Amino acid sequence: MTSTPPDSGTDEDLLVAGRALVRSYGHSPALRGISVGTRRGEVLAITGPSGSGKSTLLLCLAGILRPDAGEVWYAGRRIDTESEAERSRLRRTRFGVLFQFGQLVPELTAAENVAMPLLLAGVKRRPALTAAGTWLDRFGVADLAGQRPTEMSGGQAQRVAMARALVTEPEVLFADEPTGALDTLAGEQVLTQLVRVTRQAGTTVLMVTHDAKVAAYADREIVIRDGMADDGAPTSALRGALGRTGAR
Amino acid sequence: MTATVQDGGADTRTMRRSTLLWLATVGGRADRTRIALTTVGAAAGVLALLAAATVASTGTDDGPYTSELLNEPGLHVGVVIALVLLCVPVLAFTGQCARIGAPARDRRLAALRLSGATPADVARVAATETGLAAALGAVLGLAVYLVGRVLLDTPVTATYGRHTELGAGSYLLEEVTGPVRRLPTDVLPPVWLIALLVAVVPAAAAVFALAALRRVATTPFGVVRRQQVRPVQVLPAALFAAGTLGMALFAGLARVTGLDEARPAIITVVFLALFLCTGVGLVLGTAAMSARAGEFLARRTGRPALLIAARRLVAAPFATSRSTAALLLVVLLAAAIQGFREHTLLAQRQGGNEFYARALDQVDLALVVAGVIAAAGLLVGTIEGVLSRRRAAAALTAAGVPRGVLGRALLLEVLVPIVPAALLATAAGILAARGVMGTTVREVVYSATGTELRVTELPVPVPWEALAVIAGGTALATAALTMVALPILRRSADPGELRTA
Ligand SMILES: Nc1ncnc2c1ncn2[C@@H]1O[C@H](COP(=O)(O)OP(=O)(O)OP(=O)(O)O)[C@@H](O)[C@H]1O
Ligand SMILES: [Mg+2]
Repeated sequence: MTSTPPDSGTDEDLLVAGRALVRSYGHSPALRGISVGTRRGEVLAITGPSGSGKSTLLLCLAGILRPDAGEVWYAGRRIDTESEAERSRLRRTRFGVLFQFGQLVPELTAAENVAMPLLLAGVKRRPALTAAGTWLDRFGVADLAGQRPTEMSGGQAQRVAMARALVTEPEVLFADEPTGALDTLAGEQVLTQLVRVTRQAGTTVLMVTHDAKVAAYADREIVIRDGMADDGAPTSALRGALGRTGAR
Repeated sequence: MTATVQDGGADTRTMRRSTLLWLATVGGRADRTRIALTTVGAAAGVLALLAAATVASTGTDDGPYTSELLNEPGLHVGVVIALVLLCVPVLAFTGQCARIGAPARDRRLAALRLSGATPADVARVAATETGLAAALGAVLGLAVYLVGRVLLDTPVTATYGRHTELGAGSYLLEEVTGPVRRLPTDVLPPVWLIALLVAVVPAAAAVFALAALRRVATTPFGVVRRQQVRPVQVLPAALFAAGTLGMALFAGLARVTGLDEARPAIITVVFLALFLCTGVGLVLGTAAMSARAGEFLARRTGRPALLIAARRLVAAPFATSRSTAALLLVVLLAAAIQGFREHTLLAQRQGGNEFYARALDQVDLALVVAGVIAAAGLLVGTIEGVLSRRRAAAALTAAGVPRGVLGRALLLEVLVPIVPAALLATAAGILAARGVMGTTVREVVYSATGTELRVTELPVPVPWEALAVIAGGTALATAALTMVALPILRRSADPGELRTA
């Protein structure tokens, strides 16, 4: 690692940061030099119109997509240049990911889905399933432990997915419209639970949403448009992160 | 269903039918691949059936040909059976191909139910599409056959064995050199038979398409698999056991029941029935076995790859048996033929008929072809499974599940059922051969004056090496084929799958 973390020395609290991120699909640019940063323990909402690059940004920050240019930092370590295997390990040990839907393995039971990250970490079957049960309980779906995702409602499946994302007690949760496929009531319930549990655990949350009500649950909101921060200044979002303290 | 309305509604019906067909094929590459491979498979199937019909129609007056298989009428049955059996993997392959991209198509069609299409409409469209593609293939196969028999009709000069019946069951066998045909291009089966074969393949394909949709309830909001069907266990096990046992004890039972006195045709039918029992039991049993093994492993393992594989086996046991059926039948047949060969070689050394051993070489070739086709079907099934599960794969990759785990899960999913099934098939095959042919060959030593000096029963050795090659080769080939699917798995886990709703 030769370069330094963004603004190192001024803010060691910055847990996840993207700097001047550029990413295109073919010839169409999705990210055009955006910078974002989030503090430890913060709940950050990323909003913006459809097609503005929110999902792309989140995937880049989570180390799932590699940006064409720019840097991604996590806890003082530059991750966008790391190998897929290294980023994969990071995701399964330190990160949790949550998508709109369809992220559970349809053939596995709820408990097995939730236990999967623990099994991958080498935890034995019995304790892994016990821990999975605890997390399902925390989201009020303990009675679904033996069910398959195809037998659940959308809201139930999202709760199971939350349990899976958090079972390893990750430092950061990346969520892309986690309530996007749910109706208002179910969405609100899921979100309340998510925020409650992550705040308890001190988990940093980066959440993409286009719902203002959802964004209201966050400590801070950044708006992106056409792959840039809202005002067109690519680094303002990062400066915002550095200039303000978390609401917590 | 409004099909009973003959007039008035006709316009809207045809429109809707065409809309449905358009929707069936609008999905792009997967749909084109499905239709193209269905066509190719049907063409190959018809070609094999026409070849079988041709050999069956070849009489003693036809020929001569370069292959003793064709010159010796007694061998025709075997050739016909081999060619018909060749159709099994071909048709299984076609069936497998007919499911490429089909779930997505079914979903699209289901969406149309909002505008009034009934489940029957949806099923009909799938059947029509497959049937039409197969019909095109059948016509293509016929065309290849008709053109081929003209193009290949040039005789070559070769030495062949000529049989002349001397009456009272004795033959004169001479070696003759002269013009011969390579294939029975001078023989044309009866027109009704040709028409029947060309018609039967598309019909079978359409029925298959309907059967595949049977358990899929298409709702307006997508395709929902109905309650998981647990595969029955007792029936396949019973069929397999009865068939294998029947063949293993064939010679003895035939003697006891007086069957060995019966006409060869009856014996053949009984044998084929037993063989069929074994094969059907094996194929159906694979589903039950993979569900069982899956259940057993899923309840115990803490290994992520094995857990995923086991749960998939539980969730879709019929997918496994569908894609491995043809391969297992080839294994069963191959093991049986190794047994026959061993027997024949020994008998031949005792002055038996040389033709049968030579014939077996050509049957070997047919087996290899069948094995390759069956393996291709398995590969198509595996790839189809990978593609249909790409969203889950992408989600797992995003969550940091290493690629190796996903790859191992795929490998285990294929190997867990096929290894025991291939072993069972090999065992059943060799038991069948030894049961029917016997485990000894009579050796007679004559004196110079022609009187029998000594009669010994020579034991026919079990061709362990060949059997190991068959069973082990199947497992290895399956593993290798799955490796071919790994890059597709890797690409299918693209995070782009997660971005879209
Ligand atoms: N795999 C892809 N191939 C081609 N273009 C893509 C791909 N992924 C994203 N894009 C394009 O990149 C841009 C940003 O996409 P992205 O999914 O990040 O937007 P988004 O803000 O998440 O939108 P939404 O709110 O609708 O989810 C869009 O213009 C989109 O069309
Ligand atoms: Mg998005």
